[in-house]
Amino acid sequence: MSVNTPTAEKPLPGFDIVSTYRSILAGDAELTMPVAAIEALVEAIAHSSVSTVAETLALLEHHTAVLKAEIANPISLSAGTDLFQRYLITTLNRPAALNLGPGDDFRAIRNHLLSNGRLFVERAKQSREKIASFGKHFIRDGATVLTNGGSRVVGALLRRAAESSTMRFRVVYVLSGSASSDTKEGDQIVADLRAHNVPVATVPDSAVAYSLGEVDMVIVGAEGVVENGGIISRLGTYQLGLLAKSKGKPFYVVAESHKFVRLYPLSQFDLPIEQKVLEFRVADDKGTSKPSEDEGFFDMHGSTKKCSGINADDAVDFTPPDLISGIITESGVLTPSAVSEELIKIWF
Amino acid sequence: MAQGPVQLAPGLISFLKSLKTTPADPSVEHLISLLKRRQIRNSRPCAIATTALMLRVVGEFKGRDAAKLVERIRQVGRRLTAAQPREVVVGNIVRRVLGLVREVLDDNTGGDSHTGSDAGHHTPVHHDSMTRPTLSSSISTFSPLRHAAAEPMDASMASDMSDSSELNRRPPLLTSHTSYAPATSAPLVNSLFGLFSQPDDSNASTPTGAASPDGKSAHSLNLERLADLSRSTNIDLKSEVMDGIRELQDELEQSDEQIAGVALEHIHSNEIILTHTASTTVQKFLLSAAKKRKFTVVHAETYPHDNTATHGILLTGRKRETRLDEDDDPWKPLTAAGIPVYVIPDSHVFAIMSRVNKVILATHTVLANGGLVAAAGAHMIAKAAKEHQTPVVVLSGVYKLSPVYPFDIDELIEYGDAGRVVPYEDGEFVDKVDVEHPLYDYVPADLVDLYITNLGGHAPSYLYRIVADHYRTEDITL
Repeated sequence: MSVNTPTAEKPLPGFDIVSTYRSILAGDAELTMPVAAIEALVEAIAHSSVSTVAETLALLEHHTAVLKAEIANPISLSAGTDLFQRYLITTLNRPAALNLGPGDDFRAIRNHLLSNGRLFVERAKQSREKIASFGKHFIRDGATVLTNGGSRVVGALLRRAAESSTMRFRVVYVLSGSASSDTKEGDQIVADLRAHNVPVATVPDSAVAYSLGEVDMVIVGAEGVVENGGIISRLGTYQLGLLAKSKGKPFYVVAESHKFVRLYPLSQFDLPIEQKVLEFRVADDKGTSKPSEDEGFFDMHGSTKKCSGINADDAVDFTPPDLISGIITESGVLTPSAVSEELIKIWF
Repeated sequence: MAQGPVQLAPGLISFLKSLKTTPADPSVEHLISLLKRRQIRNSRPCAIATTALMLRVVGEFKGRDAAKLVERIRQVGRRLTAAQPREVVVGNIVRRVLGLVREVLDDNTGGDSHTGSDAGHHTPVHHDSMTRPTLSSSISTFSPLRHAAAEPMDASMASDMSDSSELNRRPPLLTSHTSYAPATSAPLVNSLFGLFSQPDDSNASTPTGAASPDGKSAHSLNLERLADLSRSTNIDLKSEVMDGIRELQDELEQSDEQIAGVALEHIHSNEIILTHTASTTVQKFLLSAAKKRKFTVVHAETYPHDNTATHGILLTGRKRETRLDEDDDPWKPLTAAGIPVYVIPDSHVFAIMSRVNKVILATHTVLANGGLVAAAGAHMIAKAAKEHQTPVVVLSGVYKLSPVYPFDIDELIEYGDAGRVVPYEDGEFVDKVDVEHPLYDYVPADLVDLYITNLGGHAPSYLYRIVADHYRTEDITL
């Protein structure tokens, strides 16, 4: 269904899901994209007057499609919307599950969702803390940890480890020179860690292989964890994984389980987004006639994208599961092969 | 051979004998001291002793209160694992027994709460186990096993956790019911939906620290609930659990035979098999294949700690220590079955690997990430096998499979008597040189091609599932 399909019976004028999403995301720096998407959808339900299950689902579908079409990299976001949708379908099909009493089941569920919007956000943040408390055990005394980008989960984990006074460890932080928001968060984490007396070295992407000899383990964050157990993360994670593998260093991923997304990319170019990374040019080429790289690309819901592609600063790559030693989630440490099981459980 | 328990050397047999006459508490002390003095060692004897002790503990337990029984088992389990943290099987068995108690409860009480769900009463188990477990025993402090799993706190040692803090970390019992779906609905018991769960049980997913008071109340609440359940329904908890423990004993007894049962699928005619150390499981596996096939065995002797046992098993077909069922099993060495056996020192492994068709390893413990702890030398053998693309098969009973996650490999490795490497009489040498004698090796998962357990063959990446099927999340942290 295309973005602009006028879902005739459900036009819903007054509500702009995209701006809601953006403002939610902007309003809370700690928020991840999937959770912001869930929040936005909850808002959407609150602004509507749907009263049946089918209406709700149609509404959700519509908003999800709009949202996915408007956001440049909807992979992470779609994890949240999908999760929300599955949750609704599962609960609405089995209203008794929520134990909301004998009353109007649908309304009860709706109220549950609306009244607890903040709670979901809190939970999501808590899960980060939970991951941090699991994950800090991976950092052993005397270890040197290499990480990249500005993942907040990784930051939380490292901070948690730094706060425990019994542990001394060092961090090699890979920061690309670009001025993306990612780098800013990375700088923040570096400053925090240094304030905690953790020695931190910042290196550019090009120094990863050089630094690896000093490193005991690699910890990275992820935007999305895909079905085969691989991750989608900021550009450069893939090569980090390859290098870590070739050096025999454990490569751990920290990600909340609401980032699990039902995608099965087989290569870097299977991702349902358009990235302006590989751009072939010749001298007199004024950036025209770029052969569309995305022919036959696959979008989960088949909608085509019209927004501009992602430039190299915000680009992502796909790290295949065989490079990953373990995925640290708030529900425990998973092997990559356990991810599909989790996803299957909510989808089938 | 021994006429009275007094004359027995302290060990598994003397312990099992004394268990018949001694009440539970002194027996616990007895086992603890045996474990501490390493008079019971290696996975199987430890497992047998622990199971027998658990049977006794449960048998002597008075009352019908399930929560108290769980607490009692946990308390014994904590002491046993603290006595010898590297014998991970002790903890495994305790967790299995705890799982039995919970299963009995679920069967009797969970039945009605899960009616109508096609998934039936198995769902809690399944969903509980859906994530991959991790880590920990007394070695590593906690286990990030699952969503409601124990929340680690900042304290660095499990042992210095007071009981109450441990309770806080503990996930509420019956998590699956309380946190999402008090009434029905197995499908909702799903960690991915954790985000949306009902607010009133938020303490189940509230992270540590701040939640301590809540956690505590949730815990006691659940304990009460457990107790209620056990009171209200008229079940003979104790006898059912004891039946379960006896089944566990049967499993321990049969696992070798079950593993040996698939030997012919893995050993083919004229193959050259490399193995190491003295292992009854491997021995039975090879013997069972030897009934039908001719093959060659290359045995690395695992000098210095296991070479005498290895020689023993090659000569007589059995390890000296494990004289359990003296008469009923006619032990035969491989050579008696017509199998040519070559004993090589460990240093020759690489040299001979190019001619080997398959490596069969015994193991001490299998860890949740697919790695294993085995007799020293195993890592080298596995590496050499990888280099030559030789398949590595690990034989292990499910009881050796542990939910421990190897955060720190060094913690799992035990060091033995350095005098076995260089005798202490060699004063000058010992004076000048540091001698180390590690007993175990950690073999990472990617060096192993296949695990054969009594349940069948599994890829290393699938082990998390087996762990999840056998241990309850709630029990990971004892």
